Amino acid sequence: MVNLVTSDNESFTVEKAVASRSVLIKNMLEDVGESDQPIPLPNVTASVLKKVLEYCDHHKNEPMPTSEDLAAEDTRKRTTDIGEWDQKFIQVDQEMLFEIILAANYLDIKPLLDVGCKTVANMIKGKTPEEIRKLFNIVNDFTPEEEAQIKKENEWAEDR
Amino acid sequence: MNRWTTLEPVKLHAPAASPLTGAPASRNPSQIPSTLPYIGPIPTDIHLRILEHVPLSSLPAFARASRATSRLLRDEGFWERKWRSLEVERCGLGGVLDDLEKKTTTQDKRKSSSAPPVLPVEEEDDFGDFTGAQAYSNPTNPAAVLNMHDVDNFIGLFSNASSQDPSKPSFRALYARASLLLTPLLAHLRSPPHLVLQNLFPALSAGSQYTFAQQAQTLHLLARFIFSANLSHATWLALRAAIDRFEANLLSVFDAADERRDEKGMSEAAHASWEVWELGDVAGDWELGKVWAEKREIFYESGQWDPLLNFSKDDTLRFDPMDEFMSHVIQSLSENGAIAKRVFPPTSRVLLAFADRIANEVVGEYITTLLSHAREISPEVFLQATAATFIQAWRIVDAVMDSVKLIRGEGSAGVLSTSNADKGTNEGSYLNRDQVEDIVYRMFEPNMDEYLDEEIESTKQALEIVCKGWDKQVAIEPSLSSDTQNTTARFLAYQNPAQVKRTLLASFTDALLIPVTIVPRTVGNMVVTGGSAAVYGITMLNPQRWGSAGGGSGKQYRAPAASAVLADGDGDGVVSPDVVYEEREREKKEEKEKVQVQDARASVSSITTTRPTSKTPSFDRLQLLLSLDVALEIIHADREALKRVETFQKYPGMYGHRVRDTIEELFILMLQTLGDRHVSPGFSRAMDQMKTYKPAEHEETSSVAPLMQFFELVHIADTIQSMVQVYFDKALAPHIDRTDFLNGVVREKKRFENALDDSVAGGLNTGTDVLMQQVEHIILTRTTAREYYPEDGTPLDLHPTKGCRESIACLEKHCSLLRGSTSKEVLEVFYQEVGIRLQAIIQKHLKRQIISLDGGFQVIADLNAYHAFISSLKIPQITADFANLKMLGHVFIVSDAKDLAQIVKDVARYGGSYRPEDIYEFIQRRSDWKKIEKEVDKTMYNLSFREDCVIC
Repeated sequence: MVNLVTSDNESFTVEKAVASRSVLIKNMLEDVGESDQPIPLPNVTASVLKKVLEYCDHHKNEPMPTSEDLAAEDTRKRTTDIGEWDQKFIQVDQEMLFEIILAANYLDIKPLLDVGCKTVANMIKGKTPEEIRKLFNIVNDFTPEEEAQIKKENEWAEDR
Repeated sequence: MNRWTTLEPVKLHAPAASPLTGAPASRNPSQIPSTLPYIGPIPTDIHLRILEHVPLSSLPAFARASRATSRLLRDEGFWERKWRSLEVERCGLGGVLDDLEKKTTTQDKRKSSSAPPVLPVEEEDDFGDFTGAQAYSNPTNPAAVLNMHDVDNFIGLFSNASSQDPSKPSFRALYARASLLLTPLLAHLRSPPHLVLQNLFPALSAGSQYTFAQQAQTLHLLARFIFSANLSHATWLALRAAIDRFEANLLSVFDAADERRDEKGMSEAAHASWEVWELGDVAGDWELGKVWAEKREIFYESGQWDPLLNFSKDDTLRFDPMDEFMSHVIQSLSENGAIAKRVFPPTSRVLLAFADRIANEVVGEYITTLLSHAREISPEVFLQATAATFIQAWRIVDAVMDSVKLIRGEGSAGVLSTSNADKGTNEGSYLNRDQVEDIVYRMFEPNMDEYLDEEIESTKQALEIVCKGWDKQVAIEPSLSSDTQNTTARFLAYQNPAQVKRTLLASFTDALLIPVTIVPRTVGNMVVTGGSAAVYGITMLNPQRWGSAGGGSGKQYRAPAASAVLADGDGDGVVSPDVVYEEREREKKEEKEKVQVQDARASVSSITTTRPTSKTPSFDRLQLLLSLDVALEIIHADREALKRVETFQKYPGMYGHRVRDTIEELFILMLQTLGDRHVSPGFSRAMDQMKTYKPAEHEETSSVAPLMQFFELVHIADTIQSMVQVYFDKALAPHIDRTDFLNGVVREKKRFENALDDSVAGGLNTGTDVLMQQVEHIILTRTTAREYYPEDGTPLDLHPTKGCRESIACLEKHCSLLRGSTSKEVLEVFYQEVGIRLQAIIQKHLKRQIISLDGGFQVIADLNAYHAFISSLKIPQITADFANLKMLGHVFIVSDAKDLAQIVKDVARYGGSYRPEDIYEFIQRRSDWKKIEKEVDKTMYNLSFREDCVIC
């Protein structure tokens, strides 16, 4: 069993197999060896970690993706496809979605990160620039000329 | 923004993020840091990751969201990944883009011919040469916006990030070009399914039809584009449907071409089909290749070849039908292989798949039927058939490799004009011998388990039968023995037994080298009578058959038509074109070998039929307890099995281990049988019989019959061991590491040798007992009462006594017999034992006698004779003992008591062998002892009752 402590000082005790879905924790455990010392995760809050652990628990019996798999990612694969369970899992509010992505990135859980990214990509699909700004909570900092130029520059890729 | 602060990294970078997101648009762009870690709540690298999954058409909107996001889309790394995912370069698809470009421009020209041409169009627009100025002002036809510089300028207006070498287009430009060229084609996918292909590849009016290769490559590129641009799944399905349709078309075109025997047409269709088949990630067989293979005639001919024809009426094997069958299969294989090589792309491995099918469906079926029938007949036939069919099947490997080589020789001069040429046409890189061998191995695997088990089982039985037969023979032998006393030839009778053994072994070695014919072409009576011995060479080796099958009789059983010998001596089963020649050679060789074998037979049979000359019949068959004949039979039975298993020795993987294990086990079995069932019982019976020997019951004194025969036994055992050694060296050494002392075979061999040595030693021990009993008996019976106490006046002839002479003769004879049959050490131990016991016997004997002074000279004469004999054995220790014993004789010829006492006391005289007390015992045997006793005592112990007694 592994003891994880979040930034808001909540502690989670999980199976090693579950915690090891995170490459970060896995490497840590390998380096430190078996110990009862809690592992501090200063970048993750309890609510997010709970969600992340839910994902890890569901996928704990799957083989870890090897570095070769990652290198030779099959471009033929339908990259926007998400598994059924994952799809349900990732149906969270936007804020949580981004937090999950950040946590997955920090904890180095590649499959979860992919699920998050694909979900965001699906959200971007077909949106106007204004909608995208809203999505990411960013403001338009273009001058009108600049915006025109950018539009022209990327015109080739637009749907015709 | 505060809600993001719960995340640790956001906190860190919050100051950097907030000016961006909250910054007024009027901010000077140069003040914005060139790389912003965060855009909104997430860092840029995750943004890029997200963008990988965003459809191409949604990217412009993303770019227009803010400066930061627009910068992301100018990232060359991103576009490079996109471009690479099209794999234009790797798959040689650049030509497709060029073609498309040409077509659109010509179409464009035609379209715009009504309107005044805006700019001259450069026709020779090469990939990599993008200098042509093109109408970019025509926004209604985006596909016309193709010129790289234009695009580059157009999209890179303020792309200072990618300060590229102007001659080399940026990845973004490359991708844009591909996108512009391919997107119009996607529109066709929305047309009704049956029209998609027509719309995609309209017949060119100029008569220049799209080639299949072009169509295939276009479809290929489209598929890759759909993936890379993250287009909708529906688009992909539409394309997939088009591809399926296209494949179906190709299949019918291919079929038609196949019927016309139009290899060029077949090749085009096949290559195109392969190109698109590679796309689908569906596991399975390539339909076109499968269909082609399925249509080969060879798969529908099974009725013509009856596997059961390989069995002759008397249920023996005759493999000529299988020969024909395999030749047919191989012919078909190489014919079709040649076609496959010319027609199919090398990567498709149709040839391999075809060979696999042939092996499994045609040959495999054939073999299964054959083997199951063989199993019904008898295990022997099954074993033989298994090995034979495997060798036959192995011909496939050579056939495939030959056809590969053949085609490679023709060169890649090509049916393939397309870009496939650069994929490498060297078949060797796609097809190596191992893969072909694997086919045969896999095909044969189902038979292996049973075969290997059966092989061991059957060998066990065969050996058992040999041993039982021998036991029975031993049991009935006594009745036969009486009338066979005329033969005198045997090892011991030869001047030089070692020489005889050498000749015998040489013949044996030659016989071992006779090639084993695994595939029986012909069946002769020998096979039937021989039972398990179906192989000609082996049959010749079997001594029991020599009498009947010797001479030239073997030859008539060989079918002159036997076309090929598949197995030669080392069992690797290589079929070469010159087999027929080899066959003839071999026959010649065999003739020669036959002569040698007969030599061997002559020597063996003369030995094995030997009957001892002794007049005591009860010991006659002692030497027959061991038989070279049986040993030979055992080795041959084993060798036969071994050679069969050797056929499979190159088997890979798990079965390879099992095959090697079986080889070892066979050898171990043979050793165990030979050792436990033959040699050890033989020796123990011999020992029992020796123990029952009573010297008194036999008249003959010079030789001890059982001992003689035991020595004969030792010789035979020695020969058997040498034969095993030869067999081990010749047949087994290649399979195992001889220096590996942990290896089962080596250990078992050691055990066998030790057991043999023990038997010999135990036998010698008993033999020594018997011999010494005999000697004692001789000495006892031949020594007359007054031998050493001659009556006065008898003239002294100082020759050894009769008993002495006879016992020495007896000893001499037996000691010399053993020379050359056992090791020097064993011999020395034996001699020493003989010496020590002889000494004891003589001493005992002397103590029984009464010896006069005259007789003393006789004693000395005898002791001298014994000493001379012992010296001839050249064992220093006992020679010294006997020298001391000789000195002892002196005590009988000294008449003066005082002198005698001095001699007795002089310990140094006897080299320390005798204490005065011992000597004292001897002198008590003097006839004048009563007279001299007191004097001697007095002198020896300086005591006399009168002078020294204190009491008196």
